[in-house]
Amino acid sequence: MDLNKLVSYSLRIGVFASALLSLVGLFVWLASGFDNIVSAAGSEIGKTLASAFVGNDSGIIYLAILILIATPVFRVAISSVYFVKEGDRKYVLISLAVLSMLIFALVSGYAG
Amino acid sequence: MHATVVLGPVDVLIIFLVSIVAGFIGAMFGLGGGVLIIPFLTLVEGVPVPLAVGASIVSVVATSSASAATYVQDHLTNLRLGMFLEIGTVAGAITGAFVSVFLPASYLFILFGIILLYATIVMIRARGIDFPANVRPDKTSRILALGSQYEDHSLNRVVKYEVTRTPLTVFIGFFAGIVSGLLGVGGGIINVPTMNLVSKIPVKVASATSNFIIGVTAAASASVYLLRGDVHPLLAAPLIIGVAGGALLGTKVLKVTPPTRVKVAFGILLAAISLLMILKGFSLPVVL
Repeated sequence: MDLNKLVSYSLRIGVFASALLSLVGLFVWLASGFDNIVSAAGSEIGKTLASAFVGNDSGIIYLAILILIATPVFRVAISSVYFVKEGDRKYVLISLAVLSMLIFALVSGYAG
Repeated sequence: MHATVVLGPVDVLIIFLVSIVAGFIGAMFGLGGGVLIIPFLTLVEGVPVPLAVGASIVSVVATSSASAATYVQDHLTNLRLGMFLEIGTVAGAITGAFVSVFLPASYLFILFGIILLYATIVMIRARGIDFPANVRPDKTSRILALGSQYEDHSLNRVVKYEVTRTPLTVFIGFFAGIVSGLLGVGGGIINVPTMNLVSKIPVKVASATSNFIIGVTAAASASVYLLRGDVHPLLAAPLIIGVAGGALLGTKVLKVTPPTRVKVAFGILLAAISLLMILKGFSLPVVL
């Protein structure tokens, strides 16, 4: 598969999954009488995410958000793998530089 | 303690409808749509600024991923250029997400407005030019093989182009990334005119490549905002669905729109938004 197709499919699947889960989350919220939802922070997010599997509206939407944010990161990761396979060293370096900064953003987000 | 907001089904429906428009415009102009989402959420829905920025960042990721999926497949996005520019924009986004804590909202609005106003002037001055002529690729561009081509459906021909002054565009991209981290906008407002005017890239390729980049830039900021508690589920859900749908429409329209018209529309959009944001920054009553 060429790089354009690989990147395009990765993005498509990520967005579709996220939009679908967002929709499910909103329906659950409506069905449960639209209770007041507040945003979670730091370690609460893990607990909220876990509640997605028992059908909690907020948890399902947090799962959608997580898949969405992971989509471009996954796109960079899969591009790196492609460049490694192609033996394109310059672009292996470029994509790995971007990927490591993204990982740093995630880790430092926890710290801050 | 973080900011909060109470939302009902009507609010969610209105946010969904507005985000279709934001996704459409964002996909067409490489902006991500945050430029519309933030003023709408703060001015109309009364959402506190941190939550509006957090929601907007999430919508930028959705607009970018949805539109880039199409643009990449159609070869309108310059993948290699996009990946190289990401080094600058992502580094900027991380910087921006951390300094936003120290900057009050009113300054953010004024800063945002002035940056947009500048982009407007630069863009409008070059509105009549379809494609820049006699572009010589710089050293970086040659080493990384950045020159490419795309099929323009409005002109019915294949357009070949070169990329010049690449390091300067990466440098400016760093500041675009900072803006993205600060305000929840993907930085496309700076990246599109920069790619077009500094690096001489066709405007539609600039828009499509910007859309590709801003997803990664916004994802870097989004994780920070998410963990800080600034991403509200009831803002994010209708935004994700709406902008994804709007973005798919936008990609179809951009493909068949002539480049000169894209530039003029881009300029008008930027002028309107920048003035609105400056007024808001000075605490003047602004109706959207």
